[in-house]
Amino acid sequence: MSSVDEEHASLWALAVPPLIWATHFLLSYWTAAVWCAKFADAGGSLALARLAIAVYSALALAALALTGYQGYRRHHLEQRAAPHDEDSPESRYRFMGYAAMLLSGLSAIAIVYATLVVLYIRSCV
Amino acid sequence: MREQDAERPSGDVQPLAEAPPESLQRAQAERLIEVWDAPSGWRYWSAVNNTEVGVWYTALAFLFLLYAGVLALLMRIQLAVPNNDFLSADFYNQAFTVHGSVMMFLFAIPIFEAVAVVLMPQMLGARDLPFPRLAAFGFWCFLIGGIFLCGSIFFDAAPRGGWFMYPPLTSAFQPDIGPDIWLLGFSFIEVAAIASAVELIVGALKCRPPGMRINLIPLYAWYALVGAIMIVFAFPPLIAGSMMLEVERAFHWPFFDAARGGDPLLWQHLFWLFGHPEVYIIFLPSIALVAMIVPTFARKPMVGYGWVVLAAIGTGFLSFGLWVHHMYTTGLPGVSLGLFSAASTAVAIPTGVQFFCFLATLLAGRVVRSVPMLWVLGSLAIFVLGGLTGVMVAIATFDFQAHDTYFVVAHFHYVLIGGAIFPLIAGLYYFYPIVADRKLSDRLGTIAFWLAFVGFNLTFLPMHLSGLRGMPRRVFTYPSQLGVDDLNLTSSVGAFVLAAGIAVVVWDVLRPKRSQPYAPRNPWNAGTLEWVQDMPAKPWGIRSIPEIDTRYPLWDQPNLLRDIDEGRFYLPDAEEGKRETLVTSVVDAQPVQCQRLPGPSFLPLLSAVTVGGFFVFGTFGWWRLAILSFMVGIGLICVWLWTGTALHPEKPDKDVGLGLRLPLYLSGTASVGWWGTFVTMLAAFTAYVCIVFGYFFFWTVHEDFPPAHASGPGWRWPLVSLLLFLAAWSATLLARRANARDEVALHYGAQLAALGFSVAAGAALLAGPLTTHMDPTRHAYEASVWLLVAWTVLHLGLAVIMSAFCLVARAAGRITARYDIDLHNTVLVWHFTLLTAAMTVAVIAGFPLAT
Amino acid sequence: MGSTLSARAVAASGLAVSGCTGVQSALAPSGPAARDIAELFWIMTVGGGLIFVAVLALALYAVYAPREPRSVRFGHGLILGGAVVFPTLVLGALLVYGLRMLPSQLAPAPPGSLRVHVEGLQWWWRVRYEPRAGEGFELANEIVLPRGRPVQFLLTSADVIHSFWIPSLAGKVDMIPGRATRLAVTATRAGEYRGACAEYCGTSHAWMAFSVRVLEPADFDAWLAGQRAPARVVAEAEPGRRAFAEYGCGACHTVRGEVARASLAPDLTHVGSRLTLGAGLFSNDDRSRLRWLTNTDVVKPGVHMPAFGMVPAARLRDLSVYLGSLQ
Repeated sequence: MSSVDEEHASLWALAVPPLIWATHFLLSYWTAAVWCAKFADAGGSLALARLAIAVYSALALAALALTGYQGYRRHHLEQRAAPHDEDSPESRYRFMGYAAMLLSGLSAIAIVYATLVVLYIRSCV
Repeated sequence: MREQDAERPSGDVQPLAEAPPESLQRAQAERLIEVWDAPSGWRYWSAVNNTEVGVWYTALAFLFLLYAGVLALLMRIQLAVPNNDFLSADFYNQAFTVHGSVMMFLFAIPIFEAVAVVLMPQMLGARDLPFPRLAAFGFWCFLIGGIFLCGSIFFDAAPRGGWFMYPPLTSAFQPDIGPDIWLLGFSFIEVAAIASAVELIVGALKCRPPGMRINLIPLYAWYALVGAIMIVFAFPPLIAGSMMLEVERAFHWPFFDAARGGDPLLWQHLFWLFGHPEVYIIFLPSIALVAMIVPTFARKPMVGYGWVVLAAIGTGFLSFGLWVHHMYTTGLPGVSLGLFSAASTAVAIPTGVQFFCFLATLLAGRVVRSVPMLWVLGSLAIFVLGGLTGVMVAIATFDFQAHDTYFVVAHFHYVLIGGAIFPLIAGLYYFYPIVADRKLSDRLGTIAFWLAFVGFNLTFLPMHLSGLRGMPRRVFTYPSQLGVDDLNLTSSVGAFVLAAGIAVVVWDVLRPKRSQPYAPRNPWNAGTLEWVQDMPAKPWGIRSIPEIDTRYPLWDQPNLLRDIDEGRFYLPDAEEGKRETLVTSVVDAQPVQCQRLPGPSFLPLLSAVTVGGFFVFGTFGWWRLAILSFMVGIGLICVWLWTGTALHPEKPDKDVGLGLRLPLYLSGTASVGWWGTFVTMLAAFTAYVCIVFGYFFFWTVHEDFPPAHASGPGWRWPLVSLLLFLAAWSATLLARRANARDEVALHYGAQLAALGFSVAAGAALLAGPLTTHMDPTRHAYEASVWLLVAWTVLHLGLAVIMSAFCLVARAAGRITARYDIDLHNTVLVWHFTLLTAAMTVAVIAGFPLAT
Repeated sequence: MGSTLSARAVAASGLAVSGCTGVQSALAPSGPAARDIAELFWIMTVGGGLIFVAVLALALYAVYAPREPRSVRFGHGLILGGAVVFPTLVLGALLVYGLRMLPSQLAPAPPGSLRVHVEGLQWWWRVRYEPRAGEGFELANEIVLPRGRPVQFLLTSADVIHSFWIPSLAGKVDMIPGRATRLAVTATRAGEYRGACAEYCGTSHAWMAFSVRVLEPADFDAWLAGQRAPARVVAEAEPGRRAFAEYGCGACHTVRGEVARASLAPDLTHVGSRLTLGAGLFSNDDRSRLRWLTNTDVVKPGVHMPAFGMVPAARLRDLSVYLGSLQ
């Protein structure tokens, strides 16, 4: 099974879901901050910035669904459940899938929380 | 990453079926001891091995804890009754500044690195971490910087701006040297902390025992890895900010002076971009100790190992999205507050996950009660309460009231003492036999626990109410009419009870134990590799490096102890009289190299003294002396690199046992040195990005930016400079290739060309703002441009020094076509130099064109 | 909202228990902003308390109870339920509760409301009233508000960062050099309160407070008119008035209607009417005024005003009488 070989594995895979969150978070923050500082008048509406953040969220959640699903597939390779603690490339492969799946879930929760903000806050005040 | 092909045994490796003859075992052991023994006499202080340096490091960090604790007691005496005059306002302000700063920078962060330096190699069955001298350098910097900072209060010269040093209070309004001591002293220590972090990252990734795949590593190593990576990204913002503030103080560049286009809020962004991750850098490695202790006493592997890894990584990331929750009251738009409020509540989830994993593990086992478990339970009780008040202050509206009051003081002491000090003391009782061969006293440990636990709650629980009743933090006294007199008196009494608990722990550690028997081997029946150690310990770390098959090898691998002791695994010998450890691949821990490690040397100490001289002399404004000291430091570091790193082995490879031959020298991405350089460059680049952030931050706060009066550096000189940077970078790449093909003339030609282009590139970059007469003291815009240029030129300076070093090393035969680590690392630095230069040019020349 | 009612009940019982009747207490709110936050506090405290007790009980059970080991499967269920599903829902709900409150906390006062400009200085407060009708005027270290009418504060700093905080009325807002921040408050109960600087601002940060008086609207209008008027000097204060001029107090202070016109230090036009002295340091009586004048830098470390201990005691008493007379 070549796909579980070390050459195809990388620790960076674990960083992808949180990096999606980080990108979403920074983009949302900068969009809102720059919009309010440069484009909106005082007490102005967030209008476009809210829309932009909603779009970021949709994209980020779609990406996380993908990484989460991929992680789930790896985790369930040959129907073996956690703890994935054997000394074999397959077990390590399943473990990394499992961790990526969990990180995707956490990142998705954090993004949903961030999206709640633009549901309730409508202005730059 | 690719690793050079090594002869890999197929299938799972078994230890030697037969033990080597006893005479050979004895000879091997003698050779190992000979090689790994610490030097004696005054040369002892040249030791670099983790078993020495790690212990000094830990002890010194605890000393600083006690020092800062004494300051806290003085403050509690002052606050015991209203309108007290036990301390003067000025001393009180110094006391809380030094208390907070020392606890954060001289205790909490160093203790993580210190404990990790002691424990990580043991847990990973390594003989030492990959860069022992770097760890020693880190320790000496810590010692020098720490004494400098702590000593200042005895001369009434200590910083008094609060541990977060908000300008303009700390710029224009405190002309004494206090803030300089803080800014330069801590920058020095932060650089050392980053050095240790580099060591830990590479150690966790590359120095594991064969077979310890990424799904099998001890949880402590996961946490330490995450914590160390966080340091690499969290400290640079503070270093960048400190640099700006010091440059403002010393040379009047107005980054934070609102009258000249600066903004005090920029400091707050940079500071908290460091400051919030910092809290988790403290918390994660401490809770990591709990993650080792809990399975031992539950007699069960950690339930939810994957969840704990999720928690460590998830918290690590999320903690970088919380910084604005320290700035809720600065008048930012509600949407910004909301976003940071969302992230601040989300981070509670992974934090809670860890505790539930611990609970699930305890429930899955039959718990053996012990002193470490008692401290763990105390930690849990305290930290959970601190976490809950953390969720409260994460909600922006509540924080409007709680911010900057004693409520917050209570909150973060619950988090830090529950999340760090209690676990550390649990760890002290648990791991003490590894360091000192004997157990601490159960009786004293229990007494200490109850004193500390009761004293702690007595001190800090009332503070929640003091804060909500209107007591701001950092007040040297308060009036009776607030109704906080009784609460404060209770806190003061509690502080002394807590101190008594800590004193009992100190006594337990210091009391003579010669008559006490050695602890049995693996005294707690733990499952992880650090407990392989014999009592009393031998200097070699581990007798032979085992093949690992499980997360808890001492529980699951039969005869493991015997096989290790009899030298049936890897590297059972030191035939050549050299310090050696195994380097393995990142994901699956396949052995790839036998790494030679440097032995004792005074060079780290001398380098720390001279580099430290730069910061100390700089504090007093003696810049010439400072730069001289720095130059000597660079020279010493070059000597250190020349004599101690990338040495040519006497043969290309060696038999490390079990029929495995490994190379003794690898360069490029396969070498640990390359990874160390890479991580260091990431840190430097992060600091640089923070300066770029400052530029664009000014753009958002100003109506017109660049301001109308400023000419800007133009685009011609910056563009010329960029082309020259490109040329120098290409020449450096060519030089490395030519060397690899042994085309000597081409190599020298390219390397000399690279140096020439470099000088021209630096000059051209400086020519931009010089020819347009940009004055960095006039406006924050000009200061930002100058700082970007200065940083880029300094980065270039580093690259030039490395290139020159390689040129000399090639001429001296130290670099050859086969042995070219230095060239690879230099090329890597050049990649980052080019990236920095390109961004600088895009910002200073491109952005004004675009607007 | 039903839960609001019950939260108020909880809040009320909590108040009774802890006896929070302080002049500077966030738990004794006298305005809608502070009340909403206090309510939020009690809800979170009760909820957090329950969670704390549950987690601690589980931990003690796990370690000390005689019991059979639970399965690893049970453990995974506990993690998923207790550490993922439950907190995600509870934290989400709390976040929404907080977010819904945010706009009202940040909203400016309706147009036409009374504007008060407060400037923070090391270590006192310059307060400038800018009423809709009539001329504005300045005072120091005291804020007087009309009950029930919204007021818009404009907050700036002249030197370092300060933070403007009246816990009984609202949360705090920082005063930052180079920026102007805002805070709108409505006081709903007449009475005396205290505000303080919450951001560490140097040596005497602890003594940077101010008094807040909330008056019935009619009383407030009368107060406004009185403050707007220049100082009235009564006959028995005449010697002190001369001392004031002689010792150069007018180089820093203003007394409107008199010669003193400098604005480096607090406006003293109606200093006699204020509740406190030295930015919340002393009550404003004859003894305190003498202490202040003779030991200024002792009673308030780092203060910029020089001490006048070298002035003969009799002249100091005159000065104190004069200052007290400036009602």
